[in-house]
Amino acid sequence: MNSTTADETERAGTPAVFLDDVRKTYFVGEPVHALDGVTLEIPKGSYTAVMGPSGSGKSTLMNLVGCLDSPTEGRIDIDGEDVTAASNRRRTTVRGKSVGFVFQTFNLMPRLTALENVALPLVFRGLSAGERRERARDLLERVGLGDRMDHRPSELSGGQRQRVAIARALVNDPAILLADEPTGNLDTETGAKILDLFDELHAEGNTILMVTHERYVAEHAERIVHLLDGTIERIEELEGGEEDGRQETESGQGEGTE
Amino acid sequence: MKPVQSLRMSWRAIRGHRLRSTLTTLGVIIGVAAVITFVTLGASLQEDILVEVGSEEASNIYVWVGPEDTNQGGPGFGAEPVFTSADVAGIDDLDSVENAIPYTIWLTENVQYRDQSVTRQEALRVTDPSYVADEEFADGGPYDPGENEAVLTPSAAAMFATNVTVGDTITVTTVGGPVDLEVVGILATDDSLSPTESFSTSPRIYTSPEDVGASRFLFLIVDAGDPTAVDRAREDTLAYLNDESEASGSLPSNYGFQLQTAEELLGQLEEILDLLTGFVSGIALISLVVGAIGIANIMLVSVTERTREIGIMKAVGAQNRDVLQLFLTEAVILGLIGAILGTGLGAVVGYAAIEFIGIDAYVFPTFWAGIAILVGILVGVVAGLYPAWDAARTDPIDALRYE
Repeated sequence: MNSTTADETERAGTPAVFLDDVRKTYFVGEPVHALDGVTLEIPKGSYTAVMGPSGSGKSTLMNLVGCLDSPTEGRIDIDGEDVTAASNRRRTTVRGKSVGFVFQTFNLMPRLTALENVALPLVFRGLSAGERRERARDLLERVGLGDRMDHRPSELSGGQRQRVAIARALVNDPAILLADEPTGNLDTETGAKILDLFDELHAEGNTILMVTHERYVAEHAERIVHLLDGTIERIEELEGGEEDGRQETESGQGEGTE
Repeated sequence: MKPVQSLRMSWRAIRGHRLRSTLTTLGVIIGVAAVITFVTLGASLQEDILVEVGSEEASNIYVWVGPEDTNQGGPGFGAEPVFTSADVAGIDDLDSVENAIPYTIWLTENVQYRDQSVTRQEALRVTDPSYVADEEFADGGPYDPGENEAVLTPSAAAMFATNVTVGDTITVTTVGGPVDLEVVGILATDDSLSPTESFSTSPRIYTSPEDVGASRFLFLIVDAGDPTAVDRAREDTLAYLNDESEASGSLPSNYGFQLQTAEELLGQLEEILDLLTGFVSGIALISLVVGAIGIANIMLVSVTERTREIGIMKAVGAQNRDVLQLFLTEAVILGLIGAILGTGLGAVVGYAAIEFIGIDAYVFPTFWAGIAILVGILVGVVAGLYPAWDAARTDPIDALRYE
């Protein structure tokens, strides 16, 4: 197991996330294989989208990569650390340190200001108030909310809330940014701006894993992993597909066409 | 997570529900206030009596005869007038005794002033002038023995249609017939001057035994001169009373000599106060249990309401113990606020009660206030433990999905 002082040069070669034949089985009466042998490597600095219909295992994959859950079988490495059989406490530490979550419903703390929301992960890592403020302020400015730091979530628009959530996800400088339908609760225009922000973050070297069922959203990524019934159906590599890829949705409903 | 941080976050959560938090702490407030009120009252009463009796009279021994094997009734319970002037003189002569004086209630049919007669049986107190010599006088001063002089309490001076003033003459009618007494002094207050007066504030007229022909006394007040000499003086007095006194000859059957020091008398009072405090504490305990249940209840609601927030915190790296700490802190703050407000309320109500009853001293029970704060914290911990544990073990996946 790598310690936090592990050789950085060695680390640069390790993938942000590595899944090896991962299975997750739920027992609700009879066993349900939510993930049935998934092997996936997410290199550092990559931008990956995961698509698939409901029940294909997208959420389970997110939970496993986000260290919210443990696999039934297989092996998961996050930032070079094997978390397959890690204790609850260890998984929480890895989650706080190496994973940044962006949710469809933003999931901000309603009583905290934007600045405090962004600084929240640092609280649990025991950073001083001064360090927290400074880091949170920088990130809020980075996402374009320098003038909204002392606003509560209820005083912010949907797009602004998602920007706060993205700033929060970045605050620990995570190995991977996990975005679960980040534009699902936003109108098309606002969603497009958020996707532009993700593109910028990717360009700055962040590793992004985004779950979506909108094709035009997925096409911002470098590659699309298609999940079906708990297995990887195919991996689609996109070349320069980050622009104007909005012709159709995965489910063929045709929404979002402009 | 650092304690300061959890304190801030918990405090914010509490402030987010002001009314609810206030109502929740009410149980603790009432419980703590009840205890503090009664303890304040008790301590102040004790202090009041201590000042009145204890300080200058710590070297005093109060002697009377009463039923044997009885600790009830306090000083003078069932007392009989058996002590003679010879007994007083005999004890006064003892080496270990600095001074011994008699004290008795000399029954009167009535008390007259000018043409007005007031029926008073127990107003006339016959004792040595030294009994009143050290007191504060509103007017005049102590009487001289054998000069037909008297000292009145303010209420005794006000018994008649016209107020009695120094220099006036009153007539007391006793078994020996009417006696004229010149009023030479009026005391500043009606407060009782010793435990022999049972802390009563009724009208009293002090005069010397010679003036009214009193020869038998209910009490002896023996002064050992120094509080440390009290024990020896007590032994010597008892020995004298048993072996040589005239009183021992006229002792009713089953009666014995009762000797109590001022300290012992205070001890008795303390016992009564402790009993009362214990009783009130019992009631307060029930209130605190109710308060704890209230806090536990509202914390459980709070945990359910904030399930999603718990999920968010866990998603961004909050450990189980961080969540536990957060909710436990919140419960402890609620308990602590209850205890602090309760202590304040108790101090105010206690003060009001003291003013109402007319106790001169006000003692804030610091020790009990400290206990109350500790109890408040304890109530918070006990009440918050289960809800906080419930919050800590919340599964983040479920919590994030929670609507």
